[in-house]
Amino acid sequence: MKMYNDIRILDKKKIKDLLKSANSEWNIYAPIEGIGGDVYFDILPKDDKIVDEVLNNLSIKNNSNIALSPKDIFFPQMEVLFNIDKDDFTETIESSPKLIFGIKSCDLKAVLFTDEFFKRNYEDVYYLSRMKNRLLISIGCLTPPRPGSCFCTSTGTGPFLEEGYDIQLVDAEDFFYAEIGSEKGQIFADKYSEYFDKRTDGDTAKKDINKIKTKASDAVNLKVDFDRAVELMQDDDFFPNDNYKRIGERCIYCGACLYTCPTCTCFSISDTVSSNKEGIRFRNWDGCVFEGYTREASGHNPRYEKYLRTARRYEHKLKYDFKVTGTSGCVGCGRCLESCPVNIGMSKFIVEITEGKRII
Amino acid sequence: MKNIYQPYPAKIERIVDETFNIKTYTVKFINGDIAKSFNYKQGQFVEISIPGAGEAPFSITSTPSRPGNLEFTIRKIGRVTTKIFELKEGDLLHIRGPYGNSFPFEEVEGKNLYFIAGGIGLAPLRSVINQAFDHRPRFGEIKILYGAKSPAEFCYREEIPIWKKLPDTEVLLTVDNPDGEWQGNVGVVTTLMDKTKLSPLNSVVYVCGPPVMLKFVMLKLIEMGFKDGDIYVTLERYMQCGVGKCGHCNIGDKFVCVDGPVFSYRDIKVFPERERAV
Repeated sequence: MKMYNDIRILDKKKIKDLLKSANSEWNIYAPIEGIGGDVYFDILPKDDKIVDEVLNNLSIKNNSNIALSPKDIFFPQMEVLFNIDKDDFTETIESSPKLIFGIKSCDLKAVLFTDEFFKRNYEDVYYLSRMKNRLLISIGCLTPPRPGSCFCTSTGTGPFLEEGYDIQLVDAEDFFYAEIGSEKGQIFADKYSEYFDKRTDGDTAKKDINKIKTKASDAVNLKVDFDRAVELMQDDDFFPNDNYKRIGERCIYCGACLYTCPTCTCFSISDTVSSNKEGIRFRNWDGCVFEGYTREASGHNPRYEKYLRTARRYEHKLKYDFKVTGTSGCVGCGRCLESCPVNIGMSKFIVEITEGKRII
Repeated sequence: MKNIYQPYPAKIERIVDETFNIKTYTVKFINGDIAKSFNYKQGQFVEISIPGAGEAPFSITSTPSRPGNLEFTIRKIGRVTTKIFELKEGDLLHIRGPYGNSFPFEEVEGKNLYFIAGGIGLAPLRSVINQAFDHRPRFGEIKILYGAKSPAEFCYREEIPIWKKLPDTEVLLTVDNPDGEWQGNVGVVTTLMDKTKLSPLNSVVYVCGPPVMLKFVMLKLIEMGFKDGDIYVTLERYMQCGVGKCGHCNIGDKFVCVDGPVFSYRDIKVFPERERAV
């Protein structure tokens, strides 16, 4: 694989202009802060006047707590698969060019992991066409956006990455260092070279970047023995059923952890058709913690008991994802703990099994 | 790129009433190219849909060695099957597939074939049973042990007497609840396993039925000396997408829809015990 060493300077004041300038070429998704302080990836409007208003709320703070990973850009929470007209099923494929600006390292790892899932066995045409023309510009976190929940240094997925990004932005207060990571990233930086300043002294820049990255890693204060947890879970006979049962007693099975999880991909397919036989076939996110998820038409449910569904969630991420792909499906984003109404999360489960503590 | 979720219309050519809530549908794809390219193996399944009601998985009960007839035996039990039961001959279904692996066939030539089924569980086994009859000299003895709740709830009641007359073939039936006319065995299907000689040597067993039946059949087969690698089970799970994506049918690191639905008992035993229901 070709290595890209190019480092540019991106002036923070010029970012809005860069995005506006690239907006004709790409559908741009960027973190936008809402009135309530919540941050989501929103698509920038094409209208010049409206885009200014939206960009006023652009959240490129190095620790923006983006509520959802951009997984829903490629795998929408609700996605039409077919338009139905009587007995005709017409596929609805979306394949616009997408620039994801401001994605976090953990979420970027999750996107790459999810890409492989949708390619495996049978190719999922909906996901693959949504992602085929895509540019990922990441911003590493200097401090954890979800303090006490983020544990990316334990999973090796942040706060900065060595590869996988097209461009990685490193916050240096007044400006970003822009590390080019792919041919696509190089082409983009060259095309918009008026924003990506080439005048960097390579060695000084690298030293400066390394200093920032080290400080950022040190700032991730929640550390768990992730490797040990995965190693334990790889044992075919290791089933911490007592932990599952205790978690099962507390879990309210709301599904917040899996909706916010950047690598959860389960879905259900449904139809809605009107009396004149026109309608849609669509899929929406589903999840293994729900009682109806495994229930068969006969009423038989292999995971009727709650703790079996808890077990599935943890074993999928730590046992089976690793067994199949060599990588765990957990990227340490901490959203499961952050979103949990009863304070349960992957990091806590890991502490329980690796340290033998009861903290749930 | 082929769209793995694209269903294709198929016309219902024939409907046979099997029991009060089970019918067998013979269908034919409208598009000749689709019909030609639809090559399936014994034990595979499809997703059948009715626009508006959605999709559900069904095993193919017809036999690859009898091309032209694509058959599904369907029990009215949920949203999709209730809609299917409203259809008449000439109406359309929408089908995608075939999916999943298959029952071993060429690999078990020369062996005795034993089939143990409960209720509609005979549907997927019928595919390999007829495949075996179409290649009869290649196999040893064939025994079919079939249980139903009551005498009126056996499927394939015209075909079973034909099977019984075939050489070196035994068909044993049992019911849970006999009526006045029933002369045969009464009891669960495991009781039939004592009524005939089942040799664990040079034999393979194919099993399909409700979870509780599977559990007791497995226990008994192992007790009789069958090796877990010689027992094949087709598992029932909520296989919603059929292509290893939606996740509903996962067990351990496997998807029943892609890695199964046919598993040897040896493979099943690797699954977490609390989940395998066998």
